[in-house]
Amino acid sequence: MVDTASARKAHQNHKVALPPATDLYNINSLLNEDERMVRDTVREFVKEQVLPIIGEHFEAGTFPRDLIPAVAQLGLLGMHLEGYGCAGMSAVCYGLACQELEFGDSGLRSFVSVQGSLAMFPIWAFGSEEQKQKYLPKMASGEFIGCFGLTEPDFGSNPSGMATTARKDGDSYILNGSKMWITNGGIADVAVVWAKAEDGIRGFIVERGTPGFTTSDVTHKLSLRASVTSELHFGDCRIPAANMLPDVRGLRGPLSCLDEARYGIAWGANGAARACYESALDYSKTRIQFDKPIGAFQLTQAKLADMATELVKGELLTLQLGRLKDQGNAHPVQVSLAKRNNVRQALNTARVARSILGANGITLEYPVSRHMNNLESVYTYEGTDEIHTLVIGQAVTGLAAFE
Amino acid sequence: MNIVVCMKETPSTTAEKSFSPDMRLERRKEDAIPNPFDEYAIEEGLRQQEKHAGSTVTILCMGPATATDTVRKALAMGGDRGVLVSDDALAGSDAISTAHVLAAALKKIGFDLVIFGNAAADAYGGIVPSATAELLGAPLLSYASKLDVDGSTATIERQADIGYNTVAAPMPTLVSVVKAINEPRYPSMKGIMASKKKPLDTFALADLGIDPATVGAAGAREKALSAEKVSTQRKGEIFIGNEGAADRVVAFLVEQKVL
Repeated sequence: MVDTASARKAHQNHKVALPPATDLYNINSLLNEDERMVRDTVREFVKEQVLPIIGEHFEAGTFPRDLIPAVAQLGLLGMHLEGYGCAGMSAVCYGLACQELEFGDSGLRSFVSVQGSLAMFPIWAFGSEEQKQKYLPKMASGEFIGCFGLTEPDFGSNPSGMATTARKDGDSYILNGSKMWITNGGIADVAVVWAKAEDGIRGFIVERGTPGFTTSDVTHKLSLRASVTSELHFGDCRIPAANMLPDVRGLRGPLSCLDEARYGIAWGANGAARACYESALDYSKTRIQFDKPIGAFQLTQAKLADMATELVKGELLTLQLGRLKDQGNAHPVQVSLAKRNNVRQALNTARVARSILGANGITLEYPVSRHMNNLESVYTYEGTDEIHTLVIGQAVTGLAAFE
Repeated sequence: MNIVVCMKETPSTTAEKSFSPDMRLERRKEDAIPNPFDEYAIEEGLRQQEKHAGSTVTILCMGPATATDTVRKALAMGGDRGVLVSDDALAGSDAISTAHVLAAALKKIGFDLVIFGNAAADAYGGIVPSATAELLGAPLLSYASKLDVDGSTATIERQADIGYNTVAAPMPTLVSVVKAINEPRYPSMKGIMASKKKPLDTFALADLGIDPATVGAAGAREKALSAEKVSTQRKGEIFIGNEGAADRVVAFLVEQKVL
């Protein structure tokens, strides 16, 4: 048996070094070598390739398309899927990549989430072998961009009410309806679209250029400006029956995709929060008011202490969620909890960071207002904060407050 | 072509550095990365492999037993196999001892082209490539900013103050490269997965026929005396007033060779 008293005594004589301000709980030590390599590689990529250009794209309202080949080259598109040109990495590795991408910008992380978790994942999980062979390798290499059509102008939190229909006609389906707030819509070569067929909700692969399928981009956004958001229109759009995803029926299909994507969002929020926290921390040590750095004032320290604490909590939450997912033991309520908490806290961190930076915080010189505006979207997309609250409420009481 | 890239494990440039009482850098496994200068050597090895079909790239490293992870990091960029020379007796080795070990390992592995980064970011001695070449009796094309291999000849460009030198040597040869030579790739997700399956051999001193007394702290001929942090405090100079301030600014800029 371990002599805990003497072990404690030995510990008392051992001086523990102060942990770094950006990893107060030494979470680094909980990661294995692969995981650190993924994190460090994506971190370096974001620092070198994304941060120098992202502010300009945000301001111009353009998605940095030039980054797609590099993102694909890194193998980030569908990195958590096995085979078909994908790397087959763990959930934790995928989460870390999302975290580092969103340190750059929520729009870039959204692009990767949509491509890998919302467009590639349903083909990988529910598609025929032909569909997988045809689409997945090209989507992994970035040759084909994908999007995911579930939300409609009148059906957001309640997707089961969707009005888009798929009518069987011989060897084809005919799609009618529209999908709204679709990330990547305007640049997508392939759309995975969910529609009501005779036998329930089914998924369809619609290629750009199919007659009856058009897209229009949402302009004048104040959030996710470095990301493409679009509406998809289907007017008597005839697609081959072979483009239907054969292996899923009902809302379970799209919801399982969303579960994958919001898993990545929970991690991503850590990245945005860290960017804001680091920016505020750095600023608080160099900005002098009343003859001392503002970080020396109690009010500022209280803000920084809260930010640092929430960041640690968020990172531990997602790491445990990722470990459960890699064991095949993650429940959707755990994903809801992590997404709700981490995005909520990231948004709060962004706002508080902005207050530390004062007027400088509203400029694109610093990342905080950009993240703050982005996180307003992340707060309600992929399940609003309210719906995730009700998912947790239902899980703990056994009583559904919606549906 | 048999390409070997020599790589050192160094602490991350941002990691806090501490030293043991006998002035050895305390190396923490979690801070270890491939020497940033060697990333250019690895990239050049991979590019030469892509240009010359049938070539193999071996990553050769001398370091602690835990450096296998760092060799794998290099293998995540590409390459076929790793070789780590590790032995407790190697701790505290100086540059010449390192060169002895690398030369012996290179003889054992065999090579047509050996590529080094021009120095290591931690010690910055910069003599291992030339010492290794001397011990092997092979030419060294140093400070290459461009490398071409044609048949049995390697040709480099070396940037000097006044322009470029073009220098050639018969193969097998050693080459040390500078940052201008290329832009190292990022390891890809697939590369990270593949690196785990690549062969990685570990050699001890006995495998290389080296007497432990001639290397490590026991055989070291140079000794580090102290290490100080670079002071990053900026020194500003302020010229005030209308009387001649502009002239003094101009004189300062001329002195700095800006004007």
